[in-house]
Amino acid sequence: MDLTKAFATFQRTVDADIDQVKLARERRDAFKRALKGEPGVLEVFGSGSLARSTQLKPVHDVDLIAVFDAAVHPEWGQVGDSSAEALEVVREMVKRLLGDNEGTVAELVRLAKPRDRAVKCFIDPPEQDDAFTVDVMPVLRQADNTLLVPSKRKRYWSTADPENLIAQVEERQQEWSHFRPTVRVLKQWRHGVPTKVKSLVMEVLALKCLPTDKTRPLALRAFFTAAAVEVNYGVVDPARHCGAIQPDLDTEVLRTALESARDIAEKACAAAADGDSDGAALLWRELFGDDFPAPEEKSSGTAVGPFLYVPRPVVDAPQG
Amino acid sequence: MSDLLVLVSGEAARRMKEGGQWGQITFRVSDPDNVGAVIAVSDGSNPVMPTPLHSTNHFLNAGHARGQHRWYRAAPELHLLWWHARNTGREVALEVFKEKVAGRWLSPSAGRNYVALTVATEAPAEYPDISIPEMVAWYVTPDAACPVAIDVVSAEHGFPQLAGHWPTTHLAESSIMLVGAGSIGGAAAHALASYGVGRLVLIDPDRLLSHNVVRHVSSAKHVGRLKVDAVKQELAEAWPATRVDTLPVDAIAAAHLIRPRLRHVDVVLCTADGVAARRVISHLARRARTDAVLACALQDGAIGEIIRLRPWSDHGCLTCHREALTARGAMDPEPALDLGYGTGTTHRPMTAVGGDLHLVAQVAAKTAVATVLERRGHPDQKLPGEHAILGLRPALGWAPPFDLNRSGDIRWLPHSPPHPGCPTCEEP
Ligand SMILES: [Zn+2]
Repeated sequence: MDLTKAFATFQRTVDADIDQVKLARERRDAFKRALKGEPGVLEVFGSGSLARSTQLKPVHDVDLIAVFDAAVHPEWGQVGDSSAEALEVVREMVKRLLGDNEGTVAELVRLAKPRDRAVKCFIDPPEQDDAFTVDVMPVLRQADNTLLVPSKRKRYWSTADPENLIAQVEERQQEWSHFRPTVRVLKQWRHGVPTKVKSLVMEVLALKCLPTDKTRPLALRAFFTAAAVEVNYGVVDPARHCGAIQPDLDTEVLRTALESARDIAEKACAAAADGDSDGAALLWRELFGDDFPAPEEKSSGTAVGPFLYVPRPVVDAPQG
Repeated sequence: MSDLLVLVSGEAARRMKEGGQWGQITFRVSDPDNVGAVIAVSDGSNPVMPTPLHSTNHFLNAGHARGQHRWYRAAPELHLLWWHARNTGREVALEVFKEKVAGRWLSPSAGRNYVALTVATEAPAEYPDISIPEMVAWYVTPDAACPVAIDVVSAEHGFPQLAGHWPTTHLAESSIMLVGAGSIGGAAAHALASYGVGRLVLIDPDRLLSHNVVRHVSSAKHVGRLKVDAVKQELAEAWPATRVDTLPVDAIAAAHLIRPRLRHVDVVLCTADGVAARRVISHLARRARTDAVLACALQDGAIGEIIRLRPWSDHGCLTCHREALTARGAMDPEPALDLGYGTGTTHRPMTAVGGDLHLVAQVAAKTAVATVLERRGHPDQKLPGEHAILGLRPALGWAPPFDLNRSGDIRWLPHSPPHPGCPTCEEP
């Protein structure tokens, strides 16, 4: 079978539904339009996987960042209650502009709840599966272009640089058109790891370990090899502001899963190099699950068997 | 006597390729070696300009200079004739040769034979499959032109030649700290450079003394120098692609100088003598979250040992590793360990032979390089374990896992977990 086609078919099962992404973008844009007109709001932009085009299906949350004018809110950024205050300002804005019975811009948001760092805005009815939410985070921009983000729980603001991640993903995508799609594949793969792995962990590992100068199979093999090692040194914010992305990550479980994936990927690449693309496809299917297309049965009626190593003789062509 | 060989540096080749129809050449020659190298070239009747030799200390720098030789632009068929004549042991008649070259002809005469280089930048159209050299050499006599062996240095020489076969870029981007430039360390430095490691940081406070020479890669001409300087100079000559920084300090006394540098290297390879220095490196590397490889010979050179210490949550440090072996009855602690600093013997007596120590160094360098490459995504660089024992002169009666009984045997063992309460392994 044609492995390139098989990867393309698999990719479609991983990628978010186009209509769903479109709806998410429309809703995001409604928020942008509404908030941009408000006094004290300097910029509104998307962050998160939708902004980086690394979203996995189903899309059920959108992250928005609203940059406020520090001159209008001089007390923001300081230790104390100003984080909670900033979230309250956003909650009030969303309710007034986008509330579902009296919103002046659109009637969209059923409920706006301040969480630790952002206001979670519920749009779809609560009984719907994968109810859709928009997170709006109020921030201040610092002189070095990084952002100050609030934490209601910790009662202080910390430095973050989500635009750095957006730019890095964009740069890799320019180098290799399969970069974002493969990040989605890796995020999907993590759901099979027997411990909780945040999707951002996979994305940051991909930035470090996924090469951009290879075919998809070889790039995946290199990724699993490198990531099984890299994960042991800690997966941290690539902009180096926020430290560990998932402090409670069970490194040893993730490492073991990455090592098994590496071993399967290595066999799949060996099968493909031997011209056994059916065997390779079966191995990729073992790695990624049944969404990866299975090879068709041979016309003779014999089922496709698993790839078996046929030991090859070593060529007697000595180098001195 | 071997056949004449003509050497052409990259710069000399470029001048001829980019020049006009002909020019003059000056060679520097060694008659005992039967070699000549181009040291100056002209474009036509313009002045003859010097072209540097392959390296500043090339042996022909001491040879005799001989002028009045020639280069000509040539028809591509002439190079086909050269190739054919070289392979059949024949010559090309002078008339034929003369007809195929351009530029101002220099007639050979009795007692005035000369060497000609010819340049043809296109292979003959009727033989597209044969790789005919762009530049060939001839010995021109009044009767014939004899094909002569030629070696042209190309800009792609060096590690770019291996690109596509070996991850040259990943290694050129890597840097390794080498603590200890003694018998194992010096050999490891050469081995690491031969893998294409881009940068080495050499750390050793000692000078090369005459008694070291029997086991050290540096020869007697360096006796009296700092070992790091001797090794650095040799690497500059043998492996110019590797950048070498030196720090002639003691790892224990100057830990404050090593600590910040550890954060900027991929691996530290420690070949230092004695337990104390190895413990310091194990501790500092763990704190810096840098992989460490420790290499030594044990039991008077009977066993080689390589330990890889990865700063992973479930991998222990050197102390934890040694405690596990001691608890199994496999190892006794070093007897002088508990003496105060400066009272114990920091250097082991010389009992191992140089070749065996160099073998340990080679495996240690491979371990360090594999560590770098696995993290860069090369599955063929996975190691079978974290602790290797090499039989050098194994004897019967040692406790497992040191119970090797054949020379050349390599046994790989897993890591040891961190010991609860270990001051190195537990986060501060
Ligand atoms: Zn320890």
